[in-house]
Amino acid sequence: MTLATTTAGPGESTGASSPSPKKARPVYRPSDSPILYLFILPALLLFVGLYLLPAVNSLRYSLTKWDGIMPSQFVGVENYTKLATGDDLFIKVLGNNLEFMFWVVLFQTGLAFAFALLLVKNTRANVAMRTLLFFPTVLSSVSVGVIWLFLYDPNFGFINNTLNSVGLSRFAANWLGSETTALYAIVFTQVWFHFGQMMVIYIAGLQQIPQELYEAARVDGASTWNTFRSVTWPMAIPTTAVVVAYTTIQSFRAFDLVYTMTGGGPNNSTSILATLIYQTAFFEFKIGYAAAQSVVFVLAIFLVTWVQRRVLRTQYQV
Amino acid sequence: MMKNRKARSASVMGGVGLMAMSLLIAPSVVNAAVPTAAKPKPGAACKPLNAVSGTGASALKCVRNAKSKKLVWTKTATKAAAFVAVEPYKAPAGEIEFWHWRGEDKAVFDLIISNFESDNPGVKVRQVIMPSGDYTATAYAKIRTNPKAAVFTTFRGSQFAQFAPTGIMRDLTSEKFMKNVNPNGRIAGNYQGRQLGVPYHYLFNNPVYNTEIFAKEGIKLPTNFSGVLSMCQTLRAKGYTPMAWSGGFRPQAGQILNSMMMNAFGSYDEMLKAIQSIENGSADLSTPWFQEMANKYAQMRDAKCFPDNPTGVTDAAATNLFATGKAAILATGTFSMGAVKNLNPAMSGKMALMSLIATDAKPKYVGIHNNTFNLSVNAQASATDQRIARAFLSFLLHPEAASMYANGTSQHVNVLGVTYVNVDLLNTSPFQSKATLLAPRFLFLNQGVRDLLEDALIGIVGGKDVKSATEEASRLIKQRIG
Repeated sequence: MTLATTTAGPGESTGASSPSPKKARPVYRPSDSPILYLFILPALLLFVGLYLLPAVNSLRYSLTKWDGIMPSQFVGVENYTKLATGDDLFIKVLGNNLEFMFWVVLFQTGLAFAFALLLVKNTRANVAMRTLLFFPTVLSSVSVGVIWLFLYDPNFGFINNTLNSVGLSRFAANWLGSETTALYAIVFTQVWFHFGQMMVIYIAGLQQIPQELYEAARVDGASTWNTFRSVTWPMAIPTTAVVVAYTTIQSFRAFDLVYTMTGGGPNNSTSILATLIYQTAFFEFKIGYAAAQSVVFVLAIFLVTWVQRRVLRTQYQV
Repeated sequence: MMKNRKARSASVMGGVGLMAMSLLIAPSVVNAAVPTAAKPKPGAACKPLNAVSGTGASALKCVRNAKSKKLVWTKTATKAAAFVAVEPYKAPAGEIEFWHWRGEDKAVFDLIISNFESDNPGVKVRQVIMPSGDYTATAYAKIRTNPKAAVFTTFRGSQFAQFAPTGIMRDLTSEKFMKNVNPNGRIAGNYQGRQLGVPYHYLFNNPVYNTEIFAKEGIKLPTNFSGVLSMCQTLRAKGYTPMAWSGGFRPQAGQILNSMMMNAFGSYDEMLKAIQSIENGSADLSTPWFQEMANKYAQMRDAKCFPDNPTGVTDAAATNLFATGKAAILATGTFSMGAVKNLNPAMSGKMALMSLIATDAKPKYVGIHNNTFNLSVNAQASATDQRIARAFLSFLLHPEAASMYANGTSQHVNVLGVTYVNVDLLNTSPFQSKATLLAPRFLFLNQGVRDLLEDALIGIVGGKDVKSATEEASRLIKQRIG
């Protein structure tokens, strides 16, 4: 086994924080010793077996008509054509998912950022408050769904009972039983469930902002608003990118919450892609068609995340 | 142990004494909320009218004595009078798995299995239980790759139809133990003339009513659709929710579809064709029978039969409404009675089945039954394991084990010679002698179609007009099957 070394050339920096030339560190290259490839083999096998092959298989199944039992039949892009042109339910569900994602990303990110700003200092009260707000995240999603199912009950639930008892009966609603309110009721639950987690990520990001920037802003006489606009927000953009991307993916995967609370009803008004795919594959036994839906599902997440990244990158060079 | 059981079961199939003994030796299987009735004997007081103590030759019927005018157990000639049960097969030594979804039956099955194992030394049967949703979704893939799953169950309808053509189910048509199965209850396990499954359960998907409320308020059970509407209005006027109906949970909300359909057709074949024509796209929901039925849902909605905010009522909330006496009727079936008693043990003995008749003409059927929990033998299991599996099936289908199962789980069974001592089974047993139809809801083999159809009906109860709800569902169904 040979040992390769890297050294900094004249004028090259070896690290922003190192005032003196850094001592050359040895670097092992796999080509020096093929046996080193064996070290990545377990991870590679797991990746190929659990991620790559199923993904490729999904792609393959999406081009077939298959009920999961009898031999599959190659149908080309027929499943995709039908999804795009002849399946109003899929379009409706895709719309539900995008709307669900929009509101969840908006409120979850907004609330998480707002509370992070309020609780960024490590005082005892703030730490206690953070713990309280983070708490729902540690619950299982099925438990959360069941709890909110009871809260939203139109006839006995805490929310309507409270509204009725304080004279606000006109605001009481059939929260999960109405096509106009059910999706928003689940959005609210999803935000309640996860914003504490995002708040913690934001707090970690905000605490990394160098204090020198705030001191400089103070010396320059910047107002609170200007300090926020010119220092806090731009410095929080990288964290926002992470939070938005994570929240987006989370909102596409809200299967358990939707399934527990409404099962996709009423009249599919709360169905999201994850529940529809499950329904198509395991209750209608259309595995090929469900695989095509899955491919679109992945593309939708990819596309939305890519657009978000582009927008943030254009404005703030993330 | 088996010798003793054989001696007794030969003379009195599934006798009460034997049942009582089974319950004595297995106190763990008798739920505290499932009280047993006094041992039925001729001349003893009984209730309700027309209750039947079982399906065996010694079964008694609860009838009104002409002189005393009291209800008493009376010997009656039953169809099973000449029935002699086929004894369980002997099993070779070995180990198999029994796959099913009824976790609530585990303790009872444990007891039955231990009896089977003691009768067949060297045999081991292991239960593999999955939640019903998982079972529907993944059972086939798991069983196909596991020949040790020698005995497995399927739901009647789409799941049985999924398994049957694959060759994974052994043909049980010529098995001797089939003689122990109610001849009228075999169809759910029949595929193209072959008996690939044995439906073990005999359920009633009829609304359950609170006998105390009806007696207290002096309300008579309706015998036609006008009567249903007027009953709803009367119950509302007296402050009750007439029907605890869970519009927020499709699987239970759809149960009344059975009753609503049962008298809509001249024959079962006609009904089957009507359903198939929707599933194959040659008809949609504008078809007259469906429109008529959907209008009846709207009429029931207008008569306030359903709870407030019906589409938001969950299964738990509906059960709670009924268990707490706020609702007079639970629009599901006998299978919900256990959950009601768990919520309120005082409901035990206060529940009975009622007919939901959706016609004002003379009804052909007054109730719904369902034969499900299809027991099958895995044709891919080894020859020895299949022999064990067949022996285990013959054991389950023997009146003794079937009685133990029925009384321990509060489920009527599809086995002849059974004796019921569970008070709730006795209360609902009068329906066994009534004209009931095999639940038509499960004739829909495409669940995607059935879900959309049921969503339309739920929407109508929630306030949508019939035309727009059925038009939207028709369009989606056409696309779904296209």
